[in-house]
Amino acid sequence: MTNPLASVAKGLASALFALLVLALTTFSNQAQALDLGRIDVSHSSASLHSEYQTLGAGETHWLGLRIAPREGWHSYWKNYGDSGAAPLFYWTLPEGVSVGEPLYPTPHRMPIGPLMNYGYEEPSVLLLPLRVEESFDGQTINFSVDVEWLVCEIECVPQDASWSGQLSVGDMQESESAQSLFASARLALPELPIWSASLSVYEAQSRLKVFVDQAEAPNLSEAYFFPASEGITEYAAEQQWSLTEEGLFVDMKRTVGGLEAEGGEGVLLLSFDDGSKRAVEISAEMQIQQAALGEESGSGMPLIEATLPLWQAVIFALLGGMVLNLMPCVFPVLSLKAFSFISANAKTATERRQEGWAYTLGIWVSFMAIVAVLLIIKSGGAAIGWGFQLQEPAFVGSLVLLMVLVALSLSGMFNITVGVESAGQGLAAQSGNKGAFFQGVLAALVATPCTAPLMAPAIGFALTQAAPVVFLVFSLLAFGLALPLLALSYSATLARMMPRPGPWMEKLKEALAFPMYLTAAWLLYVFNLQAGATATLALLVGVITAIFGVWVWQSFSGQVSRLVAVILMVGALTGIIYQPSGDQGGAQTQTNGDIQTYSEQNLAALLAKEETVFAYFTAEWCITCKVNEQVALFTDDTQALFADRGIVMLKGDWTNRNAEIASLLADYGRAGVPLYLLFPKGSTEAVVLPEILTPGIIKDAVEQNT
Amino acid sequence: MLRNSIVGILATLIFVFASIAKPVNDQSAPGFSGVTMTGETISLSDFIGQPVILEWTNHECPYVRKHYISGNMQKTQRATTEAGAVWISIISSAPGEQGHVSAEQAQRLTTERGVYADHVVLDPEGVIGRLYEAKTTPHMFLIDQSGVLKYQGAIDDKPSANPRSLDGATNHVLGAWSEFVDGEEINLAQTKPYGCSVKYAD
Repeated sequence: MTNPLASVAKGLASALFALLVLALTTFSNQAQALDLGRIDVSHSSASLHSEYQTLGAGETHWLGLRIAPREGWHSYWKNYGDSGAAPLFYWTLPEGVSVGEPLYPTPHRMPIGPLMNYGYEEPSVLLLPLRVEESFDGQTINFSVDVEWLVCEIECVPQDASWSGQLSVGDMQESESAQSLFASARLALPELPIWSASLSVYEAQSRLKVFVDQAEAPNLSEAYFFPASEGITEYAAEQQWSLTEEGLFVDMKRTVGGLEAEGGEGVLLLSFDDGSKRAVEISAEMQIQQAALGEESGSGMPLIEATLPLWQAVIFALLGGMVLNLMPCVFPVLSLKAFSFISANAKTATERRQEGWAYTLGIWVSFMAIVAVLLIIKSGGAAIGWGFQLQEPAFVGSLVLLMVLVALSLSGMFNITVGVESAGQGLAAQSGNKGAFFQGVLAALVATPCTAPLMAPAIGFALTQAAPVVFLVFSLLAFGLALPLLALSYSATLARMMPRPGPWMEKLKEALAFPMYLTAAWLLYVFNLQAGATATLALLVGVITAIFGVWVWQSFSGQVSRLVAVILMVGALTGIIYQPSGDQGGAQTQTNGDIQTYSEQNLAALLAKEETVFAYFTAEWCITCKVNEQVALFTDDTQALFADRGIVMLKGDWTNRNAEIASLLADYGRAGVPLYLLFPKGSTEAVVLPEILTPGIIKDAVEQNT
Repeated sequence: MLRNSIVGILATLIFVFASIAKPVNDQSAPGFSGVTMTGETISLSDFIGQPVILEWTNHECPYVRKHYISGNMQKTQRATTEAGAVWISIISSAPGEQGHVSAEQAQRLTTERGVYADHVVLDPEGVIGRLYEAKTTPHMFLIDQSGVLKYQGAIDDKPSANPRSLDGATNHVLGAWSEFVDGEEINLAQTKPYGCSVKYAD
């Protein structure tokens, strides 16, 4: 023994035990408890008990080890989670006697920083089966056991203790005083497996399916699975559950490339609305699945609901897509589409409808492309969210170029087919369709970083789901965005209302160039913040080179000049794409006055000080955010109100990629900005404000929560 | 041309983001740089051409103490470093938490305990720890000379803080190391680490 305290305790325990045995023999059958001794160690105490004071040959008896950690400290379950250690037993027993694996009470979850532990913050009793073989013919069993268990608060202190003594064998006799201890220990154990279950282990997640009838678990408020084996889940990750007609499902996140899954045993903890709990042992049949979850969702596997049911997400997506049409970021592009309506009078109904569908298709195809890329990147483990493409300066730079070219075309410098310039010329339907498709693509590209009310929960939901669900939700979102103009394309009344084509249309077309120039200016501003002034200069040179290339193309018809033009265009674009990566790390956005920058630590520190905190998450490319800030947040009234109530402002800037902000957004079921959170004084639960702010909304929220 | 260029941009994006590594065996170990107790800045990439062993440590953790007081960790360090490995001990305890040390303390501990580590990296922000998803002290990683992760997990198969548990314990790091040196497939390439939680900053 290395621990002197434990050695002393061991000596004391032996002495105590000798006394006890003496007492037992003196009073023979009148003996009471069979308490095998309590030992106080540095940070916990432990006592060993036998349920029977006389053991029977050929029987299994139970010993109980009660571990009582010091206040604030905890001991561990057999699977300790991310860190810790399970108790260890070293027995010395005569031949014909053996002690098996202990039975553990239902554990608790104990999160520690980014890690998760499973164990007990209160005294717990482990039940140890002691088997005496039929062949054992002695009168007494001389045993000794060294036990090592770990208790931790934040620091960990291993505890050692040893018990030794004699147990008599004869006619089995219960120890009366130990009965209440064993009775309550059995109550703390999970129920024996009563439901059959299967555990499917996929690369990045595990799914437990328990064949339990919905009626057996009414008013279920939470289901949590404690896996007994390694490789089933990332312990600190949230579990998701759903109770369906097919059974109870628990979905767990797995570390890709982590430890191999070892088995399907564990404990299922069910919590109910009335606060009661029920723990059931699970002995699930484990299947290692090669395919990713979702690839087989066609095979009747129910989809787990995350925060809202699928049908709701789909409706939110559709409505959100429609509302997107009104968001400031999409508006300039929509003016293009609106313009093509002006020529509606000159087109046949079929042509108009075809164009409507081409526009819808353009939006849909772009959304699917963006989602596909998003999924591929996410599967690589990067923390990104919706609108991610605008976090990449190369993409923003390319969009600047695109916007300038479209605007120049509208201004009449040259013609590229965007479906507008041909208005009133009675151009063939086919090229009208092409133009409409292109308008759809453009609308989708600029619309993605915007979030509209109702759209955020749908996207947040979708991004946690299997691929088919993601595509379904985003298809609906795309359709929602296209729907208003698609519906209009079916309206003959609207078409008739349009004035006759004439020279005035040329003027209007030129006028429409200006919203495009403004869009380009906004994107340039974003680019400058992301990539810095040098990159911005390079971008502008690239844009001018490209314009020069177009001009060469238009002005000279020879093959050589065409080639030169193409080289110029390609060179400009390559320059735009590759240049920014050399000059990264650009300028940080200024935070004015006493607004603090968001970080998990910063927020936690403020909340610990019981401050009232208003945290807002924004990005330079998020026009909705900017509008909210100008209209509602940074008004004199709101700022005065904040000052008056002593509200601390925290700003999370998502202009560039930031995993910390992405994870916070995910916590609130969001995939993008804006997000507005108000933490009332002394609370760590935030009140979530809507995506569209008015001074009134902020005022009401503040007044209700401070 | 426009659509092609968008596809091109998106493809570039994929390559950029896919390079963010996680600690997965037989894949590139996550790259890191850190400041050592001697004030030197080292990067994993400095050691391309040499196998590297990473050890998460906390001198006050009883599980770490078992391996140092008994000389087991020093023995493991000596056996591997003399055979050409670079041993990097990493301390990810946050300031004020157990096991957090100043550069001077780290140097003193190294001398006192007769440590054979080549470098002791101080990671009080827990950046390297989180990158490797280090959970316990000790938590061990073996990286081959081309930067590929070969072993991760516990130092041995006895999750106990008691030095007597070393008797008959199988040292997983030495096991993986000898298989690696012999050019064999590593039999037990991943185990569950045991010990105290890494004391990260919140």
